[in-house]
Amino acid sequence: MLSRTDMSFGAPLARGRAALATLTAVSALALSSAAAMAQDYDPQAVVNIGSLYEPQNLDNTQGAGQGINEAFNGNVYEGLFVLTDDGDVEPKLVDSYEISDDGLTYTFTLKDGVTFHSGEKMTSADVKSSIERVTAENSASSRKKTLTVIDSIETPDDKTVVVTLSAPSISLPYNLSYVWIVNDDAGDISASEDGTGPYTLQEWRRGSALAMVPFEDYWGEEPTNGGVMFQYFTDATAQNNALLTGAVDIITSVQSPDALSMFTDNPDFTVSEGASTTKELMAYNDRVAPFDNAQVRAALSRAVDKEKLLQAIWGDYGTLIGSFVPPTDPWYVDLNDVNAYDPESTKEMLAEAGYPDGFSFTLDTPDYDPHPVVAQFLQNELAKVDVDVKINIITANEWYTKIYKAHDFDATLQEHVNHRDIVFYGNPDFYWGYDNPEVTRLISESESAHSMEEQTEMLTEANKIIAEDAASMWLYLYPQIVVSTSNVSGYPLNGLNSQFFAYDIQKAD
Amino acid sequence: MLRYILRRLVILLLSLFIAAVVLFVLLRLLPGDPANALVGVGATPEQIAAAQAQLGSDQPLGVQFLSYLGDLARFDLGNSFVSRSSVLDEISRRLSVTLPLTLAAFVLALVIAIPLGILAAVKADRWYGLLLSVVSQVGIAVPVFWLGILLVYEFSLNLRLLPSGGFPLRGYADPGRAIESMVLPVLTIAIVMSASLMRYVRAATLEVLGSDFLRTARALGESHTGALMRHGLRNAAVPVVSVLGIELSTTFLGAVVVEQVFSLPGMGSMLLLGIQQRDYPNIQGVLIVSTLLVLLTGFLADILQRVLDPRLRKEAR
Amino acid sequence: MSAESTELPPRRRRGNATFWLGLILVGVIVLAGIVSFFWTPYALSDMAGGRLEAPSAAHWAGTDRLGRDLFTQLMIGARIALIVGCGAVAIGAVIGVATGILAAFATRFLDDALAAFFDILIAFPTLLIAMLVVAAREEASLGTAILALGIGLSPIVGRITRILTKQVLGQDYITAARVSGTSWGAIVYWHILPNIVPFLGVNLALQFGLAVMAEASLSYLGLGAPPPNASWGRMLQEAQGTVYTAPWGAVLPGLALFALVIGINLLADGLRDRFDPARRDG
Repeated sequence: MLSRTDMSFGAPLARGRAALATLTAVSALALSSAAAMAQDYDPQAVVNIGSLYEPQNLDNTQGAGQGINEAFNGNVYEGLFVLTDDGDVEPKLVDSYEISDDGLTYTFTLKDGVTFHSGEKMTSADVKSSIERVTAENSASSRKKTLTVIDSIETPDDKTVVVTLSAPSISLPYNLSYVWIVNDDAGDISASEDGTGPYTLQEWRRGSALAMVPFEDYWGEEPTNGGVMFQYFTDATAQNNALLTGAVDIITSVQSPDALSMFTDNPDFTVSEGASTTKELMAYNDRVAPFDNAQVRAALSRAVDKEKLLQAIWGDYGTLIGSFVPPTDPWYVDLNDVNAYDPESTKEMLAEAGYPDGFSFTLDTPDYDPHPVVAQFLQNELAKVDVDVKINIITANEWYTKIYKAHDFDATLQEHVNHRDIVFYGNPDFYWGYDNPEVTRLISESESAHSMEEQTEMLTEANKIIAEDAASMWLYLYPQIVVSTSNVSGYPLNGLNSQFFAYDIQKAD
Repeated sequence: MLRYILRRLVILLLSLFIAAVVLFVLLRLLPGDPANALVGVGATPEQIAAAQAQLGSDQPLGVQFLSYLGDLARFDLGNSFVSRSSVLDEISRRLSVTLPLTLAAFVLALVIAIPLGILAAVKADRWYGLLLSVVSQVGIAVPVFWLGILLVYEFSLNLRLLPSGGFPLRGYADPGRAIESMVLPVLTIAIVMSASLMRYVRAATLEVLGSDFLRTARALGESHTGALMRHGLRNAAVPVVSVLGIELSTTFLGAVVVEQVFSLPGMGSMLLLGIQQRDYPNIQGVLIVSTLLVLLTGFLADILQRVLDPRLRKEAR
Repeated sequence: MSAESTELPPRRRRGNATFWLGLILVGVIVLAGIVSFFWTPYALSDMAGGRLEAPSAAHWAGTDRLGRDLFTQLMIGARIALIVGCGAVAIGAVIGVATGILAAFATRFLDDALAAFFDILIAFPTLLIAMLVVAAREEASLGTAILALGIGLSPIVGRITRILTKQVLGQDYITAARVSGTSWGAIVYWHILPNIVPFLGVNLALQFGLAVMAEASLSYLGLGAPPPNASWGRMLQEAQGTVYTAPWGAVLPGLALFALVIGINLLADGLRDRFDPARRDG
């Protein structure tokens, strides 16, 4: 689940562009009057949220996992900016900001009257120390790299923060939306918190649940509920059962289509489909033979019936995308026809590439669903073109050390959750080692683009090249499904980058 | 008897020492440097070196072993790599779930298994004696997680009587819900456990029923039941007590599975999570504490056995 | 006395009935496992079926998510379960009985040391640790899994053997035999083994069940033998998410597991009732 711990290394920002807004829709699945219609709600009601992603600790710079973003982003901690559920980047704790003409100096003016849960006022010193927490030597934050572009941070007065960059970065506000503003006196926050958000942490019982109650002195609008409790499950079936028996009101992500049948035909539940950014892919190690040869990669891509795979895993849900870019990114183009399913051509291409008798490779497969099933499917499909796949099951932790860090693998399976993460293909040092100078140039120049259009144009171009190169084998896009009891409404549907804003959730009696 | 207890106590301490050694060796056999797990993604070689220094994993093995023993003697189990919190604190929180779960299941299993096992042996010729042994067979053959899922399906999803899983946030401060959430897990373990215990009780009772001294007693005019009660049970108890310690430790493996099925925050789920995350301090802590508990149980079972079986007592001098 | 004697014949018959039932259950599974070497309805990796098809004439036990035939997987699962069970029990019994008897006969010091060592190994969740080591190896195979399970079982067998043997050694007729000059080897062969086998046999049958079940539990936890090994435990794990829409996928491997464990226990019971000398002349 490592990629789920947020590996977006500098996803470029499209400020002000409502990229997702139009695509976000309550799906036709929703049977009952979409819960948004609920008129009366109980402002004191506690909302119980079922989740599979318990945080490992409460500090997002100490390898806490995606669960901490789900529970704390926007709820307990806030950033200078916020990535809304519609995909917009909006100011949060920033009142206004200016960018110098060369794009190298950002001057942020902070909001007035923001206090931490401990009662202290938020000042520019807190902002500076918060950014430095992420970039610090001992920080394990995966955001660290994206912020290395920051040269210096000045605090001329309590309300003003001046950030100087070493190169222009159109994604700075986006990247700052991941930086929690933490009280600089808070000390160790791995088991406690001191943020500015609408909720304060009430209690966390490891292995079980995490409860939050509204913060009385919150600077913004108060939540429409009386608190939130995240209940953690180790297994999807247990989570579904909890929803069925009313122990939880919402589950943040559904893992299989088969569980859904219990909810879709039942007026007591609302099933909503949001815009997904989670991609299942087989990543080759593009550094090593035979996968350093684009023709071999393209050949394998043609040998796999992805439609059948998607059907096997997700039934009637999910989408095929033909590349790494989901339809919600501005630089999406339909690339399903590039290296489409055509097993006949595979053998010829392999022969041309110098593998007339096929070859064999080891597929490092994370031990959790759906990867082992996907691996067996690929093994079977590729056997038909004389490519022998050895499945090696590994834990998430081994994936980290062996693949992500040591790059010691032939090919692996992984799901990548973040939106706008095409930029990984511009980094030759990334685990899959895709190195095309043209793509690297396009992606790095798009970061210093002057306008959205320019950025979109460059990344669309990069997207097409990557697909032609078959840099990885993109299998499918997961559906994003949220299920709730029908008396609950106002929850986020897209769960972008694992966030789950709870303050607008309303629960009727 | 006192001498025996003292001797047994020395053995207990020695056992703990050996267990500590075995654990130390085992955990170092596992692949992957714990320092990597500590610093996380994107760490530089310098950071990894710093982490190694912090963990002491750059020291020679002998030094590592001594400091490990020192920590154990002070009952300092260190801090988790992942959560950074004290392993001992975490274990004591988790034990408050696992210990009641295991003990309640164990007691319930004994309450079910002893009378039914004796009945199944004494009335082996009757239809209900036969039925009982069939039931115990069935119980043994059901996978724990299967039974758990079945109970959830019936009592939570169908009848809506009990929660399907989870543990209340405030734990026993919320006694009603805490007990409610323990009922199905306890039942699951107890049913599986009583089935295998029942077989031991039945086998041991049958053994005694066929033994010479019981026949002698009956020849001397004692009634069947009377003879069994007066002489048999004590003898039958000896082999049964000897398996109790083992049963309790297999319950721990059962608890790992059951805690997974019911999403309970116990030692089992802590161990499993530790294994998945290569969180060595957590794995080590759970194993040390559970080993300690099981060794203690074995110690008590041995003493009990000694009390029950005068032949062994004599031999021990 | 006489009232009980008249009851003996029916008990015999019932004992026979359990024996035969056990033999049939185990026999069917053994047969399925053997046949799977030569023939299965489909190839294991054949994904021609539809997604989660219900049992039908074409697929006797239905299909899984990938459209693979479940009956084929059940047959191969039978083979794997038998290999796991027999292998683990054989290893566990050889090590356990040998060390158990050794401990019972040994001097006080060695006896204590071995007894303590059994206790420690039992106290460990050995199975979990062993499987962790197996899973962490590059080349995880069924063989290492069996070895791990067998070693995990051996201290349990050893501990019971030691206690049972000590009980027998405390009997007067052993002393009598020694006095009359019988050798220790002969005592083990003539007196100890026959006396501990009934209780130990029941225990070994349980251990067989335990080994098969442990493999299933570990697979359920995601620590079992890697795919494409179609062990019943793996099948159960993969069917877990579809238990409401396609229950046969979870029910059938569960039933197979159940039938094997119950069959082997019935068989053990039946054998004990037949050969137990104390009961034979009863």
